[in-house]
Amino acid sequence: MTQTLRASRSAPVHPTPAWAHPGKSLLLPAFWVVLLLIAGGGLRLVVFIRESFATYPTATLTALVLFGLYAVPFCVFVAALDYLEREPPLLLATAFAWGGLVATSISIRGNAAVHNLIAKLASPGLAAEWGSAMAGPTVEETAKALGIVAIVLVARAQVNSILDGVVYGSLVGLGFQVVEDVVYAINAVAVAGRGDQVAPVVATFLLRGFLAGLWSHTLFGALAGAGIGYLAVRTDRSLFSRVGVAVLSVLGAMAIHFLWNSPLLSLGGGAGIFGDLFVKGLPPLLMILFLVRGVRHREADYYMAQLAALGDRRIATPDELRVLAHGHLRAGARRHAHGRAGIKGRHAVRRLQRAQARLAVELSRAGGIAVAGLPLPPATAVAPSPVGGAGVAVGVARMVPQPPGALVLGGPAAVRWRDRVLVERGRLLALGHPEATAPATRNGSIRRVVGGVAIFLASMVAVGLALIALGAS
Amino acid sequence: MRVAGGTLLRNLAGSIGILATVAGLAIGLPALDNALPAQRPVGSGSYPVGGGVTVTPPPDARLDVTLTRPGDTRGTAVFLVGSVRYVIVVTPFHGTLPEATERLRRKITAVRGHEITGQQFPTTTASGLPGVQGTYAAPGRGGRYLVFAGDGVAIEVTVAGTAPALRDALGAIEASTKTIAHRGGTA
Repeated sequence: MTQTLRASRSAPVHPTPAWAHPGKSLLLPAFWVVLLLIAGGGLRLVVFIRESFATYPTATLTALVLFGLYAVPFCVFVAALDYLEREPPLLLATAFAWGGLVATSISIRGNAAVHNLIAKLASPGLAAEWGSAMAGPTVEETAKALGIVAIVLVARAQVNSILDGVVYGSLVGLGFQVVEDVVYAINAVAVAGRGDQVAPVVATFLLRGFLAGLWSHTLFGALAGAGIGYLAVRTDRSLFSRVGVAVLSVLGAMAIHFLWNSPLLSLGGGAGIFGDLFVKGLPPLLMILFLVRGVRHREADYYMAQLAALGDRRIATPDELRVLAHGHLRAGARRHAHGRAGIKGRHAVRRLQRAQARLAVELSRAGGIAVAGLPLPPATAVAPSPVGGAGVAVGVARMVPQPPGALVLGGPAAVRWRDRVLVERGRLLALGHPEATAPATRNGSIRRVVGGVAIFLASMVAVGLALIALGAS
Repeated sequence: MRVAGGTLLRNLAGSIGILATVAGLAIGLPALDNALPAQRPVGSGSYPVGGGVTVTPPPDARLDVTLTRPGDTRGTAVFLVGSVRYVIVVTPFHGTLPEATERLRRKITAVRGHEITGQQFPTTTASGLPGVQGTYAAPGRGGRYLVFAGDGVAIEVTVAGTAPALRDALGAIEASTKTIAHRGGTA
C-alpha cells in the first residue's frame, strides 16, 4: 500500500484510453509538421552522406557502422526502461528521427550563427573559447526539446507517465548524438588531410562515443523529457507549476550541457578529458540516473498495483511483483529459471513476465484497478472467470482453481493476456519451477555497483590508451 | 474517426509554435548573423593566430571574425586583403615538414576543381622558420600555399584570389608571411 500511495502521489500514470486510435494522429496538424521537418532533415543528411561517400567511402561507411552499433546498447537500455508499458515503435523511431534529422539540421545553422554573433559582437577569442558552451546548450537543447513537445502533440495519449517523457527525450538525444558524431567523424577525416583513412573515425568514436558519450545528448534529452512528461501527465497540478517544471528541466539540461562544453572546471592538458569526465560528467550522469530510477520505480508501482489488486497468485505472486518491477531482478529471475529448468525455463519466465506486464497495462487501460486503494470505477467490466472449480490442465500440470473472490477485470485484451499468463504459469508448473522469482542475494547491489564502477574505469583507461595509440590530440 | 475542435485548435497552436521556433533557430539566427558585418580592421602590429603563432597582417587587411578562431594549442586567422583571402591555420603536429606539406596539398586537391600547379620551393620567415611554398589553381582563381612545421605545430598558409587581385596583394602578403613566428622562435 505504501508503494501504491507513493505512485499515486508523485507519478500518476494516465493509461492510453481504449478509444485512442493511431490513425487519429493523421488528422492533427502536428503530425504533418513533424513529417515535413523530418523529410527535410532526411534529405539534408542524405546529401551529406552521399557527398562524403564520394570523397571518403571507407571512412564514411566505417563511421555509419560504428555509430550505428553504438546506438544499440543505448536502445537496449531505453527498452529496459520502457519494459512495462512499451511505447509504439513508430513513435520511438519518430523521436530518434527528430533528434538525428531535424534537431541536427537546425543546430548546424543555429550553432554557426551563434558562434558568428559572439565573434562579431565580442571577439573571435571569446567565440573560440565560449562559443560551444553558449551555442550548444541554447540551440541544441531547444531543438531537441521541440522534438519531445512534438511527440506529445502528435500522440498525447501515448505519453502516459513521466517515464514516457524520459524515454522519448532519451531517443531524441540519442538520434542527435549518433548523427552529430557521424558528421564529426567525417569532418575529422577531412581535417586530417590524409585521404580516406579510418583512424580519425575511430578516434572520434572513442573520444565522442565513449569518453564524452555517456553524459551527452541522450542524458540531456532524458532530463528535458522528464520535465515535458511532467507537463503532459500531471494534469492534477496547475498549468503554472507544470510549465515551471518543464522549463526548469530544459534549463537543467542546458546547464549540464553548458558545463560540459565550457572551459569551466577543465583541467586541461593531455589528461584533461579524464578530469572533465569525473568533475563535469559523472555528477550529472548520476543525478539524472537517480531521477530516472525514481520515475521508473513509481511507474512500476502503479502497474504492479494493477496486478496485486487482482489478488490472484496464479497471475502474479507477491515475490513476482517485486521482481517484475525491476529490470535487474527480471533478468535475475530468468537466470534463476535457466539454472533450475534450463533454456525452456528461461523462455517460459521471459514470456510470463511479458504477459504479466501486458496484462497490467491492459487492466489499467480498461480502467482496472485504481491506485491508492480506490474503489473500482463504475465502468469497469468484471468478467466471469473461465477457470473452473477443479482447475485447468496446462501441459502436464494442473492449474489450481481461481481463488474465491479473485477479480477478472478489463476488456477482451486484458482477458487475452490473463489467459496468456495462465498458460505460461502452466508451463512453469510443468517444468517444476512454479514461481518466476529471483533468489535474494546478500550484497547483490553492492557487488553490482562495485563491478560496474570497475568495468567503467577499466573501459575508460582502455579507451584512453587507444586514443594515445591513435595519436588523437 | 474525428478530433474535437478544441483539441484541433490546441494542436494547431502547438504546431505553429514548433514551426516558429524552428524557423527562429534555423532562419532567424542566421539572418541576424548575416545582418552584421563579418569583417573588421585588424589594426597594426603582431596578431596572435593561436598555438603560440603570431603574424603581422598586411596594412589595410581586414579580419573575418566569423572564421577566425584563436586557441591555446591551435588557431585559425582569416584576413582579407582587397578580395584576396589570406588564411593561416595552426594545428598540433608531430611529423616532418614534407608530411605537413603533403597534408596541405591533399586538403587543397580534395576541393573540387583545385589543382597543385608547378614546383614547390623552400622558404624561411624573418625569425628563421623553415618551410616550403608552392602554387595552386582553382576555377577563376589562383592560389599560393606555404607550410612550416616543427616544435609540435604545423602552420599552413593559403592565399587565394583572382589573378589581378592576387597580383596586387601578393607583395604585402609575402611581407606578412615573413613575419610569422612561433613562441620560442622556431616552428
